[in-house]
Amino acid sequence: MNISLDPWVWISALCSLAIFSFLFRDNPVYKLAEHIFVGVANGWAVTFYWHNVLEPSLVDPLFRHGQLLYIIPCIVGMLYLTRFIPKVSWLVRIPIGVSMGYAVGASIPATAQAYIIKQIQGTILTPHNFASWNAGTMGIVWSIILFIGVLCTLSYFYFSKEHKGALGIASRIGIMFVMIGFGAAFGYTAMARVSLLIGRLQFLLGDWLGIIN
Amino acid sequence: MKFVDYLTKIDRRIIYVILLAVVVLPLLFPSALSVRVMPPVEKLFHAIDAIPEEKALIIDFDYDPQTLPELEPMGFAILRHAFSRRIKVLALSLYVQPLGLAQNALIQVTEEFNSTAQTNRDSVIYGRDYVFLGWQPPPLIPILGMGESIINVYRIDYYGNRTDTLPLLKEIKNYSDIALLVSISSGDPPKWWVEYAQNRFGLQVGAGVTAVSASEFYPFLQTGQFSGLAIGMKGAAEYEELVDNQLHVAGRRKASEALPSLTYAHLVMIAFIIIGNIGFFIKRRQK
Amino acid sequence: MKRTIPLVLVFIFGLLGFIPFIVPHEIVQSSDDFLRNNFLKILAAFALILGLGSLLRVHIDKIKRKGQNWPYSWVLIITFLVTAIIGLFGGVTGQGVLPTRIGSFSFDIWTIFFNIEVPLGATMFALLSFFMASAAYRAFRARSTEATLLLVAAFIVMLGVLPLGNSISPHLPSFAQWIMDVPNVAAQRGILFGVALGMLATALKIILGIERSWLGGGGE
Repeated sequence: MNISLDPWVWISALCSLAIFSFLFRDNPVYKLAEHIFVGVANGWAVTFYWHNVLEPSLVDPLFRHGQLLYIIPCIVGMLYLTRFIPKVSWLVRIPIGVSMGYAVGASIPATAQAYIIKQIQGTILTPHNFASWNAGTMGIVWSIILFIGVLCTLSYFYFSKEHKGALGIASRIGIMFVMIGFGAAFGYTAMARVSLLIGRLQFLLGDWLGIIN
Repeated sequence: MKFVDYLTKIDRRIIYVILLAVVVLPLLFPSALSVRVMPPVEKLFHAIDAIPEEKALIIDFDYDPQTLPELEPMGFAILRHAFSRRIKVLALSLYVQPLGLAQNALIQVTEEFNSTAQTNRDSVIYGRDYVFLGWQPPPLIPILGMGESIINVYRIDYYGNRTDTLPLLKEIKNYSDIALLVSISSGDPPKWWVEYAQNRFGLQVGAGVTAVSASEFYPFLQTGQFSGLAIGMKGAAEYEELVDNQLHVAGRRKASEALPSLTYAHLVMIAFIIIGNIGFFIKRRQK
Repeated sequence: MKRTIPLVLVFIFGLLGFIPFIVPHEIVQSSDDFLRNNFLKILAAFALILGLGSLLRVHIDKIKRKGQNWPYSWVLIITFLVTAIIGLFGGVTGQGVLPTRIGSFSFDIWTIFFNIEVPLGATMFALLSFFMASAAYRAFRARSTEATLLLVAAFIVMLGVLPLGNSISPHLPSFAQWIMDVPNVAAQRGILFGVALGMLATALKIILGIERSWLGGGGE
C-alpha cells in the first residue's frame, strides 16, 4: 500500500466517498457534496464564459477597440436579463426568438439530409450497399434483412391504421427488430455503467491508496 | 417455497457487495486478456492513420466527468496515435465541462512524448504540432464557422493566445485543410458534426461514444457518415491495442486494465437476471 | 406586438439559418459567417447569465424562506462564488492577478475542477452501476416472446463484446457485432426516421409561427 500524500488526491477521494455514501441512504454528506458539485460546475462555466467568450468577442472589440457595431448584440443579449423584471419580461422572447430561429432554420436542411436522405440511401437495395458489408454474397442477405427490418419497424409505429392483416404481420416483425435493438442497447448500457464504477475504483485503489499499480 | 421467495427477493445490499467484489478483485489481482479488435474501431484507426502530412485532425473532446472512464482512454489512445504519426491536431470542446479534461489529456500525452524525445523535431510543441482551440458557444458556431475560417471562430485559443499568431493555424485555415474530425462524446455532438459540417462542407467524421448511446450511432456507421466508431471502454481498449501493436507507442492502457473487471461484472449481472427469472417462472408455475 | 415581434424574428432568423445551406454564393456565406461569429456567439454568452441568475435566485429564495435543506444553498452559493473568483481573477492557467498558489499547494481553477468536480461528477454516475444491477435483477423478466428476445439479445451482446465471448466461441463476438450491424440498425433507423420527420415538422411549425409554446404563457 502506498497511500498518496497529495492533499488534492485526498480531497478527490473524500468527494468520491461522499457520493458513494448514497448507497446506504440519502444523507447530509451526500447532499453537501451534491451542492458543492453544482457550485463548482457553475463557477468553472463562468470562468470560461468570461475568458473565452465575453472578453474576446464583446468586451475587447467594443470597449477596447471601439467597434460600435457590437452594441447591437450587446443590447439584444442583455434583453435576456429582462426575464427577472416582471413588467418587461416579454422582451426575453426577442433574443430567444433570434437564437432559436437561426438554430431551427439551420436544422431543417441538415436534418433532412443526414437523418432522412442519407439513411434512405443506406437502406435501399443497391450494389453499393451490398458491397459495403465486405461479406461477399452474404452482403445481399444482410441488406435485405436490413431493408425488411426498417420497413417493419416503421409499420409498427404507424398508428393511423389498425394493425391487422399484412400490416399486423409487418408490425409484429417490426417489434421483434425493436426488441433486439433494445436488448443490444441494454447490453451496452450495462457495460457503460460498470465502466464508470471501474474508473472510480481505479482512482481510489490506485491514485489514492496505491494498492493497484 | 421459501427458497423460491429468496430467489426473487435478494437484498439489494448483497447485490451491491457482490458487484463491488467482482469489480475490485480483478483490479487487485490483474490478468491480461486478449483484445479482439472489431471492424468499427479498425475503420477509425485506419481513417486517422491515412491522414496526409499537409492536413490536420480535429479532436472534439466532449466527454464530461460523468463519462470519463469510458472516453478518456479513447482520447489518450487517439492522441498517442496522432502524435506518433506526426499528425497535426486541433483540439476543441463544444461544451464547457470537457475543457478541463481535454487539457488534462493533451498535457499528459504531450509529456509522455516529450519525456522520450531526443530532438526538437521529435517533441510535441504547442502551436506547431497541436493547438487547443478551447470553446465557443453555442455548438453551432464552431461547427459551421470552421468551414469558412477557424481563426474567425476562435480568435483566441484556450490559453488566451491569439490564434492568428500560432504557426499551425497559418497552415490550417478551415475544413478544406482538415482530413478528419473525431468527436469523442457522451451525447449527440458526433451527429451534429455529420448534420452540419459534413453535409455542408464534406468533412469526414469519426466518433468515439459511450456504450449507452452506441446503438443509435450504428446507422451512421452503416451509411458511411462515420468513418469509424469506437464504443465505450471496450472500444477504447481495442484502440489501445491497435496503438500498442501497430505503432508500438507505450502508455498506460487504462481501458485494457479494466476488461477483466468488466467481464466478471457482466457475468454477475447475467447471473442475477437468470436467478430472478428462475424464481419468477417457478412462482408463475405454482400459481 | 409582444408576441408578433418575436414571431417575426423567428421567421426572419429561421430563413437566415436556412438559406446559406442552399445558396453557396460568397456573399451569403460571408454574411452568415459574420452573423454567427459576431452576433449569435454573444447572445449565447448572455444566455448563461440567465441560467446562472435563475439558479442563484432559486437558492437565495430558499435561504430567505428557510425552505427544505436551505443551509446547503449557502454551500452552493459560497462554492460558486469562490470558484468564480478564482477563475475570473486567477485566470485559466492560474496566471491572473489573483495568486493561486501557496508554496507548492496550487488552487487554480483547473486544479479545483479536476480534484473536486471530476470526482463528484464521475462518482454520481458510478452509482448507477449498482442501481442497474439491482433493477435488472428485480425487473427484467422474460414475460413474453418480445421480452425474451430482448434478454437473449442483451446476453449475446454482453458476452460477445468482451474477451470472454471469444473464449466461449470465436463466432460469438462476430454474432454480437452482426446484431449491432443489422437488426439494431434496422430498428434504430426506423425510429430515427420517425424522430427526424417529427423534428422537421416541429422546426417548420416554429419558424412559421404555428408552434408558439416557446413564447411562454399568459395572454400577452
